[in-house]
Amino acid sequence: MSHAPHSSLPVGHYAYDEVDRTFLKQRVAQFRDQVERRISGALTEEEFKPLRLMNGLYLQLHAYMLRVAIPYGVLNSGQMRTLAQIAQRYDRDYGHFTTRQNIQFNWIKLEDTPDILALLADADMHALQTSGNCIRNVTADQFAGAAADEVIDPRIHAEILRQWSTLHPEFTFLPRKFKIAISGSPQDRVAARFHDIGLMARKDENGRAVFEVYVGGGLGRTPIVGVKLRDDLPEEDLIAYLEAILRVYNEFGRRDNIYKARIKILVQALGVQEFRNRVNAEFVAMDRARYRLDEKIVAAIQARFGVPDFDPAGQAAEKLIQQRKADRAFDFWVRTNTHAHKQPGYVSVTISCKPAGGIPGDVTSAQMNLLADLADQLSFGELRITHLQNVVLGHVRQDKLYALWQTLDQNGLGTANVGFISDIVACPGLDYCALANARSIPIAQKLSERFASPELQREIGPLRLNISGCINACGHHHAGHIGILGVDKRGEEAFQITLGGAADQDTVSIGQIIGAAMSEDETVDAIARIIDTYLARRTAGEQFIDTCRRLGTAPFKDAAYAPA
Amino acid sequence: MDRRNNRRDAEGSSVITANRLLDGRIVWLAADGQWSPHIRNARVYSNVEIEDALKEQTASAQDNELVGVYGVQVSLSPTGPVPVTSRECIRAGGPSVHPDFTPEWQERPAVSPA
Repeated sequence: MSHAPHSSLPVGHYAYDEVDRTFLKQRVAQFRDQVERRISGALTEEEFKPLRLMNGLYLQLHAYMLRVAIPYGVLNSGQMRTLAQIAQRYDRDYGHFTTRQNIQFNWIKLEDTPDILALLADADMHALQTSGNCIRNVTADQFAGAAADEVIDPRIHAEILRQWSTLHPEFTFLPRKFKIAISGSPQDRVAARFHDIGLMARKDENGRAVFEVYVGGGLGRTPIVGVKLRDDLPEEDLIAYLEAILRVYNEFGRRDNIYKARIKILVQALGVQEFRNRVNAEFVAMDRARYRLDEKIVAAIQARFGVPDFDPAGQAAEKLIQQRKADRAFDFWVRTNTHAHKQPGYVSVTISCKPAGGIPGDVTSAQMNLLADLADQLSFGELRITHLQNVVLGHVRQDKLYALWQTLDQNGLGTANVGFISDIVACPGLDYCALANARSIPIAQKLSERFASPELQREIGPLRLNISGCINACGHHHAGHIGILGVDKRGEEAFQITLGGAADQDTVSIGQIIGAAMSEDETVDAIARIIDTYLARRTAGEQFIDTCRRLGTAPFKDAAYAPA
Repeated sequence: MDRRNNRRDAEGSSVITANRLLDGRIVWLAADGQWSPHIRNARVYSNVEIEDALKEQTASAQDNELVGVYGVQVSLSPTGPVPVTSRECIRAGGPSVHPDFTPEWQERPAVSPA
């Protein structure tokens, strides 16, 4: 049976109307004019830079880089094919999924950019809010609308926040960029407490959404765990309260020092209670009726999301059990790369973009087209990009998994490693990034090859390994159970190791540097010795992060710096 | 451009680099005054004389359709100047993770959408 969407609405994300499309076309025309004026010299680079950044265009190490927004990480198959077309026609046949659920292209030409944005607009896509000191792409649970443990689909409120924040006149020139994440499950899969604002949605006794609101979290050069401002923010006050937070930040956040400009620094400087007092003072002074998020508005937004037309479960689960018994490799992939679905007979599938020796998050145009085809055939035309740089098919019937896995495996996308040591998160690093101090990708490749054995990864168990090429921490190294930070030692690349980071809500922690920086190969060997230490000293059932917390970093440090 | 790229020893030598405005690609100022994608063609300045050259090239950047002109300290080798930092070596040679993406990389002909 076909899993194509049953209506004209796209499954899983908001359907644009003519107002949205007209706005995007106007925006493309505006940028086309700006590019022409830059090329003619009417605009200097200094004048043009903030304009191109507002359209997602950076000048990186080798070329321009275009970062395309994927709101709350969800896109449809047609949009994925558009991305493939851009990769093939305007780039070097690949794209890179980012830790903000976006995609970036590394070899873009300035003169092509207006045409690319026009192509995106035709697919209801854009590059807004992917750069600059504005509210960036709102991220959400990659299993939204599917997870068995979900209580509220966070994409509806993510879309509301997207519409509220896009071109918000007060918040277009914030002291610094601003990142919001939202989860509708008690299990935090969005790293809520490492965001400027993290929202955890649940239902109140009347079935309406209420939000835990965390503020002032972040990574970068000053990693801080966000603090809870509200435990029970009613849905109707969501916009007003977030507006109040942003106003306080906009007024009191520092603009004199880029390194102290994020909201986390303001929260720490004022103290949590004083920050809360100022937000509350702003909140009570607002015209609450004007900002009230009415149930009808929420329902109207929700009505523009297509929903899957699930088939009856039938014998899907039984068939899957038989296929898993018959093929151990498939069974292992199902264990690692699927997630429980709320609909009987279905699962969510995480497609690993981390093959052994591969570049984390990179996919070719052929793979993008394949993913789009698979989404059409198996998941109602819907795809999600995860903040861990993988791709999710949200709604796959259990009896379709075996054929899916075989197809993925034949196309370099069948790696069974989600949540394991080779499921590495890495920023582009010095191979591409103008800010980086060291390359992130080669060390990721060496580590994924070193630990490629499925048996070894299964033996090690769940382990998050994150790599950043500089202190800006786009690879979220502080949130990794093992983190690697690239540093510059007098022009040479070197790497520090952090241990003990975690982004889970209840046990969130910041990884601590264990010692002096090492060369790339020394770091790979040091991590192998850290893993050996864990395997030798863990107790029954203990995961790496548990052992790390129980023993502290000392034995791992001893192992990492042991003489060869 | 990041100031760290402009760290230069008084006794050293440097070359001048920039990005092309239209496509962002890296170029190096050659001895003939043209901008080359290959660092091997770059004119080598002593660090005493390079500041004046940088001022001149920065002033004419728009006319030359360039952006981000700056100097890169190099050591000299039989094959030409070699940047002293890892960062500039990667800029000169292309991303290490795609050995084919050197400055010689020829772009594929545009493929019409299906």
